[in-house]
Amino acid sequence: MGMSGRLVVPSLGGLLAAGLLAIGLHTAGATEQRGGQNPGNADRGHRLFLVGCATCHGANGEGSAQGPDLRGVGAAAADFQLSTGRMPNTAPDRQSVTKRSPYTRAEIDDLVAYVASLGPGPPIPDVHNPPGDLQEGGELYLDNCAACHSAAGNGGALNVGRDAPTLHGATPVEVGEAVRTGPGNMPVFGRGTFTPQQLNSIVRYVEYLKKPQDPGGLSLGLVGPITEGLVAILVGLGALMLITRWIEPPAMRQEPPAVTAPEDQQ
Amino acid sequence: MIVRRIVRWFDERLGAARFVRTALNKVFPDHWSFMLGELALYCFVILILTGVYLTFFFTPGTKEVVYNGSYAPLKGVSMSQAYESVLRISFDVRAGLVMRQIHHWAALIFVGSIIAHLMRIFFTGAFRRPRELNWMIGVTLLLLAIANGFTGYSLPDDQLSGTGLRIAYSVVISVPVVGVWSAFLVFGGEFPGNEVLTRFFVIHILIVPAAIAVLLTAHLAILVRQKHTQFRGPARRERNVVGARLWPTFTAKTIGLFFFVFAACAALGGLAQINPVWIWGPFQPAAVSAGSQPDWYVGWLEGSLRLLPGWELRAFGHEVPNPFFSGVLLPGITFMLLYAWPFLEGRFTKENREEHHLLDRPRDRPVRTAIGVGALAFYAVLFVAGGNDVLASRFNVSVNFITNVLRVALFVVPVVAAFFTYRLCKELAQRSPTAGEPEAPPGAELVVRTAEGGYVDVEEPARTP
Amino acid sequence: MNDDVQETQERKATSRTALAFGVTALASLGLAVTYWAGGQEQIEGSLLAIALGGLGFGFVQVAKYLLPQGPYVEDREALPSSDEDQAAFASDFERGEGWLSRRGFLLKMLGLAGGAIGIAALFPIRSLGPNPGQSLFRTKWRRGSLVVDEQGEPVGVDTLDVGGALTVFPQGHLEVEDSQTILIRLSQEDVVTRPGRELWGPEGYVGFSKVCTHAGCPVGLYQQQFKKLLCPCHQSTFSVPDGAQPVFGPATRSLPQLPLMVDDEGMLRARSDYTEPVGPGFWDRGT
Repeated sequence: MGMSGRLVVPSLGGLLAAGLLAIGLHTAGATEQRGGQNPGNADRGHRLFLVGCATCHGANGEGSAQGPDLRGVGAAAADFQLSTGRMPNTAPDRQSVTKRSPYTRAEIDDLVAYVASLGPGPPIPDVHNPPGDLQEGGELYLDNCAACHSAAGNGGALNVGRDAPTLHGATPVEVGEAVRTGPGNMPVFGRGTFTPQQLNSIVRYVEYLKKPQDPGGLSLGLVGPITEGLVAILVGLGALMLITRWIEPPAMRQEPPAVTAPEDQQ
Repeated sequence: MIVRRIVRWFDERLGAARFVRTALNKVFPDHWSFMLGELALYCFVILILTGVYLTFFFTPGTKEVVYNGSYAPLKGVSMSQAYESVLRISFDVRAGLVMRQIHHWAALIFVGSIIAHLMRIFFTGAFRRPRELNWMIGVTLLLLAIANGFTGYSLPDDQLSGTGLRIAYSVVISVPVVGVWSAFLVFGGEFPGNEVLTRFFVIHILIVPAAIAVLLTAHLAILVRQKHTQFRGPARRERNVVGARLWPTFTAKTIGLFFFVFAACAALGGLAQINPVWIWGPFQPAAVSAGSQPDWYVGWLEGSLRLLPGWELRAFGHEVPNPFFSGVLLPGITFMLLYAWPFLEGRFTKENREEHHLLDRPRDRPVRTAIGVGALAFYAVLFVAGGNDVLASRFNVSVNFITNVLRVALFVVPVVAAFFTYRLCKELAQRSPTAGEPEAPPGAELVVRTAEGGYVDVEEPARTP
Repeated sequence: MNDDVQETQERKATSRTALAFGVTALASLGLAVTYWAGGQEQIEGSLLAIALGGLGFGFVQVAKYLLPQGPYVEDREALPSSDEDQAAFASDFERGEGWLSRRGFLLKMLGLAGGAIGIAALFPIRSLGPNPGQSLFRTKWRRGSLVVDEQGEPVGVDTLDVGGALTVFPQGHLEVEDSQTILIRLSQEDVVTRPGRELWGPEGYVGFSKVCTHAGCPVGLYQQQFKKLLCPCHQSTFSVPDGAQPVFGPATRSLPQLPLMVDDEGMLRARSDYTEPVGPGFWDRGT
């Protein structure tokens, strides 16, 4: 009622932009900010827990037939499962998959704080201090991780439909959390197995695998000899066979031969 | 002209004018599928050229060294000399990586073109008398090519090929009675030993290439002596060869083809990365990568090892373990059948009583074609099985399920493929009863002009029943 | 064909060929410059392909349009030699056989000599490798061998969490292929996988040979929830609580289990070597 007409459009535009920004931050921020940056509020977390988690994990995290006991899993496990969107798990009888989380970053922090309060467990690791060593990380990765996740970090098949997922979409914190907590079929590598220095080295190498050096050209997904073989036969040999046909087109010559070979040939 | 004087200089000493003239006038049939063997030949030449280059930089040793080259993630890491030299070629020798990649791509295409050539020979019946000998030489060349490929990609001593070597070792020790001794002699002891790299190096750069060169020469010499086969067509008979002369036309075509083969390998070698050994890492006996694969031409063996369920023979304190059946018996039977095929077919069709220089259209021999397609389908299923874990993780299907499906498919798909091929051949043959040549107008005669300038009548080409 | 058309075709082919060879020359110059300037793989490969392709294209143009096409006919004479030639060959060859009549035993002696020297010549092959002996029946594990990780650090009861897995070796024998062992912690209490193995799994730790009993690949995938070991090479699957019994895939035999114990300082040690040969089967394995 008092707004001058000249300001209506820019104002509405501004509101729209702000609204979009807010929505953007609300959804994008949920999984992209690092876990462990802000300690959450355990009470708020408890309320969120009762709404979204208690059906499977019990009102106090004690577990049920549908979900494991969360007492003592620690902040790392909770943050990993929630940040990657594996939890809430809509199909508990299959391997949980990475998906967009319905929670904001702040909500996840609160839930993490609550779950962490249920019992002592691995904290969210600091994957940047002490700084990881790339070479040490490569050696540890190839010795301990490549068997499931492949040398290039593409992932690999496990039994009966499970798999070790690709690592290319995991943030450094998520990698560290997974190593420490052993989600799903992944083994647990605690502080007795890898020191914090070793863990951060592995994290650093996994980060490198997202954009490894490919001096040879197209990396073909770093899948290995199968794709190389397909390219060699379908592209290489295929092109050569087409070229051969071009050199010698298959049209049968219609006219009879013009000249016989000389009889003095032996 | 200078050329004439040089030629005369050689002729005064060799007197080869008549011989060379005959050779230069040799006629090559004018069908593109006759050039598939040349694809293989030129891949071999490219492999030798790039291979010699690589031997100037590669060190076949297992001695441990510490890496200090320009690939940062491996700096300071301990590795074998062999692996270190391959990293050096890839990162610190200018154009080294391109040469290495051209070499490896050429090897993959080499085996592929041999098999394409083999398929052309098989499906057109070119292996029949008098060419059984050349067929057997050709199958031997295929074996040697596969062997050289395997020894070649094992040389860098990386994790991927080292895993393959371990499997090969286990297959060797599975051989009854002599298996363990054979493995200990070849590898110089228990796996991995320190000898196999240097021995594979000698096999790869000297023994097998020399054998291939000798057999190739024999292969080509026999071909020259027996002359090419040819497809049926106007004026093409059992008693002649129709086509282009070796000099100058065929020479120009084949030189052109050589450059194209080299160009294809060069394009792949520069644009498509192959065997990035720095990602696999140096070979460690206790490490392995998910999704490990051999090169494609070994994939059928890998599939065989994966598909055979847990069966083996055990009696009286001895055993014939599982890998023997999938890793020794299957390839043994495969190559035995390949070698024996001309004689098996000849015994069955009684065609080995006379020479055959005119080729069959595949559709005119439905049984042979169906068997060939069925066999190809069998090995294709094995190849797919060799990558069952890659399929499982790419398409989110259970690897156990894929394996079980492929176990069934191994027997069902070849039969179905053979059946449909047979029917297709019959159908196609019915639609084009003659061997593809046009009907001569009524009253027409085919004449041929002789070298003297006269004309002779030529009999009608044989019709396919 | 029509002379004019043919002449045009030839002219076009000539200019195409000249152009192609020109492209080759330029690309080759580019190659030289690239190399001199430091090299770059994709540029090197592309320029080389272009240079070679230009040459190939040119030669094919010449072959298809500028050279005599024929078709030519070459007669094929019968392959078997004429009867006279065969007879002449036979009689000439027999010239070298006459001296053998009534001396057939010489040929047999030659056979004996040749066979003997051939067999003797095979003996140096023996030097290629050692006598297998008991090598495949024993590893480097002994009674009291300290369990160490791949960095050589001793492994104690606190090293693994429950659900953890690690590759270990006997101290002093790092990276010895037949001694590689996958150590798994199943629980906090002692684990008994089979009768007779009551003492082998102290405080939840079990150790199995990592060498797959199928074809020898390291069985590196431990699936914590299933408690199964999976070999990535051919998908042999082993059930850990049952003593690594094979449950899928081509393996026919369980992974041998390493008898473990905890010493006074809480460090893991082996009670003895494996009680059966590790790795894939072989002819004499059962003896």
